[in-house]
Amino acid sequence: MSKSQEAQREFADKDDAALSLEERLRRLEEILLRLEQDDVALEESLGLFEEGVGHVRDAERILAQTELRVEELLSKGDVQDMELD
Amino acid sequence: MDSNPHSPGQIWSVSEVNSAIRRLIEDSVDTLWVRGEVGNWKRYPSGHCYFSIKDDRSELRCVMFARDAGFLPSDPENGMEVRVSGNLTLYEKKGAYQLSVRRIESEGAEGLWRIAFEKLKSQLEAEGLLDSSVKKPLPRYPRVVGIVTSTEGAALRDVISVLDRRAPWTRVLVRGARVQGDGAANEIAKAIEDLVATGEPEVIIVGRGGGSIEDLWAFNEEVVARAISRSTIPVVSAVGHEIDVTISDLVADLRAPTPSAAAEAVVPDAADIRGGLADMPRQLAKALQAVLERREAATEHALSRLGLSMERRVEPLQQLLDHDLERLQTKLRIILDERTHHLIAIEGRLDALSPLATLRRGYSVALKGDGQIMKSVRDFIKGQSFMLRVRDGEVTAEVTELQVGEE
Repeated sequence: MSKSQEAQREFADKDDAALSLEERLRRLEEILLRLEQDDVALEESLGLFEEGVGHVRDAERILAQTELRVEELLSKGDVQDMELD
Repeated sequence: MDSNPHSPGQIWSVSEVNSAIRRLIEDSVDTLWVRGEVGNWKRYPSGHCYFSIKDDRSELRCVMFARDAGFLPSDPENGMEVRVSGNLTLYEKKGAYQLSVRRIESEGAEGLWRIAFEKLKSQLEAEGLLDSSVKKPLPRYPRVVGIVTSTEGAALRDVISVLDRRAPWTRVLVRGARVQGDGAANEIAKAIEDLVATGEPEVIIVGRGGGSIEDLWAFNEEVVARAISRSTIPVVSAVGHEIDVTISDLVADLRAPTPSAAAEAVVPDAADIRGGLADMPRQLAKALQAVLERREAATEHALSRLGLSMERRVEPLQQLLDHDLERLQTKLRIILDERTHHLIAIEGRLDALSPLATLRRGYSVALKGDGQIMKSVRDFIKGQSFMLRVRDGEVTAEVTELQVGEE
């Protein structure tokens, strides 16, 4: 199993919905880099393409969130929503 | 009645005199600023400081009580040019008048702040805490941003408005702290530690809006510097004063000139990401297309290489075959010769058994290829040829049908 395949599996193991914007964008960069390599198998390249399209869609969904969540950490260690006038 | 002008009319006690003078001085002279050179500076364990300021002709005794001296960033050095502000008073016990100093400001650039700053800076430098090698890289797309600042200040509002504009998917965790005045440094340090303890922020902005060097002083204190350099989470220092660098700026992983600039530095701009993402499907498709094209080219290349290598390999094979063929032919000849001899031998035996006589009577003998006599139906295989020996020669025959009869 090649290194990138391992990485891919590791990625797939993680709950896909939990991936952050950063992870998705980084993964997209990895996918583009991988596709540029000579030893990429046809099957793998198709898989990478599909995965990439999925990350684009999910990243756009994250970007569509418009409400900045502002919370205050209280001295007790509790967190409460913060209202700013 | 004694009217002698040299005789005392009213006798004062020493205390009464000093007390009266003290009132006189205190009531008649407003707060004043005096410029001079510091001499005989002495700080007592109580925190009270005694010193004098002097010019080339005179000297003025000064006292600075602990409640004011505690705010000094550092003790002035003897010989330093300062301005002091305070009120004239009288130390009644000694009958000595003095200036009760509330503030000391240095004349010129090499001020008290500067002394304290340089001292702490060189200490942290010696510990390697200012090295660029200990700077932690900032995450590119933090999910959670921590902020340590006053919850009342404009700095917080500035940071939040920038985060909201650029990266509204971010979660902001604010830990309020007073950013100036007594105890501010400890509050800031504690707030940083509290945020780090939650383990949630991926980057922390520590700062406040602009102000005088005194207002910003908390960010030059060791306790804040230590909290920043101990933080396992990258810290961006944003003390709104573009000209002067604070110790926090030096220790932090990144220095931003203002809180807004810090917010811009910690999150990417949604618009940029959207632009990059919009182009991504096309880039992916292009990359995939390139893979397919590369494979096609690789296949062609492999085929042409295969053709070439086949030629190279077939040539020696042919030579080998030529050689082997000769050997094979020789071998076949030998085998044939052996067969012939074998047949002749069988003939001899047949003669010995005198079957030829029987043959002459019209019988024939079926023989296998190896000369063995075929005596039973079981010796024959349908479709196979065999030999029939008759009186005057041999006939090659083929088995077309087999029928088992009674013995």
